[in-house]
Amino acid sequence: MSDVLGAFEQAVLLGIVRLGDEAYGRAILKEVQARLDRDVAPGAVHATLERLERKKLVASKLGSGTPIRAGRARRYYRLTPAAVRALNDARAAADSIWRGLKWPLTAKRSPA
Amino acid sequence: MTIDDAVTRPPAWAEWLLRLVLREDDRDSVSGDLLEEFRESIVPALGARANAWYVRQVAGFVAREIWPCAAVVAATCVVRYLFDTLLPIKYTPGVIAERSAVMTWTLIATVTSCAAWHAWRTRRLGAALVIVILATFVGGLLAQAGTLLCFAVRHDPATVAAIEGSGGFGEAFIDPSIGLAIAAGVVGLPGAIAGRLARAVYGWSSANTKSA
Repeated sequence: MSDVLGAFEQAVLLGIVRLGDEAYGRAILKEVQARLDRDVAPGAVHATLERLERKKLVASKLGSGTPIRAGRARRYYRLTPAAVRALNDARAAADSIWRGLKWPLTAKRSPA
Repeated sequence: MTIDDAVTRPPAWAEWLLRLVLREDDRDSVSGDLLEEFRESIVPALGARANAWYVRQVAGFVAREIWPCAAVVAATCVVRYLFDTLLPIKYTPGVIAERSAVMTWTLIATVTSCAAWHAWRTRRLGAALVIVILATFVGGLLAQAGTLLCFAVRHDPATVAAIEGSGGFGEAFIDPSIGLAIAAGVVGLPGAIAGRLARAVYGWSSANTKSA
């Protein structure tokens, strides 16, 4: 059975998928902020990436630096096959629990 | 693109602290990400308030590293306060009470293991010591807040007498943050050395295994 992913972990992993070869820390942060439409702390993304790497759901390698980063290397991330399985399972589970319901839900008035 | 360092440089102490608490593998990449975000997005958007943003982000990174140790320190002190006020005992000078020994060894074990873990993670003795000192300082502040809250809820004469009998108000409400932080620097050192040595031995043995 694949890992069960939290919503934020899914956002980070799907950010990596969308960014492809350009998936490094700050780009992932921007992608997650844009998708979740809220301010996200860089530390939260870093902690999630570290956790995902520990769970072997992402792999990383160092790239080159740029002047704006004072020459400090970028770390590029990519998904492992285990992460792809986990994302597919998460999507299948979400589809399954939503099946037959109209989205968005509307609040029903409770009986008086 | 030219970078005007004088304008777009975050506080040096905050950058130093950030790089200190990061894993060796992440030191350049994570501090570089934060610097890039600071220069490309935050300075243009916030101007003079950009430094405050940077300090907040660093505080977030530091908080993630110190909270487990700080929480254990705070909980230990508050539990001890509750024991001393709800189940007071008569302390005899020169004799270490069982609950004092349990509290002391819990704190020593917490600080030592925290220092060892961070020396292993960062491969720096200094980082481990800074982290345990910050963690115990914050844990002490939380303990003070917790004990003050307990005192606000229950402050009858028996509680006051129990506090005075177990070390006084200074020990309960003032000493924890500064006193524990100083002690953590001393107690944490052997743990930090052990963690650093273990990492060196592990690195040496895995390098030999790979080359074999």
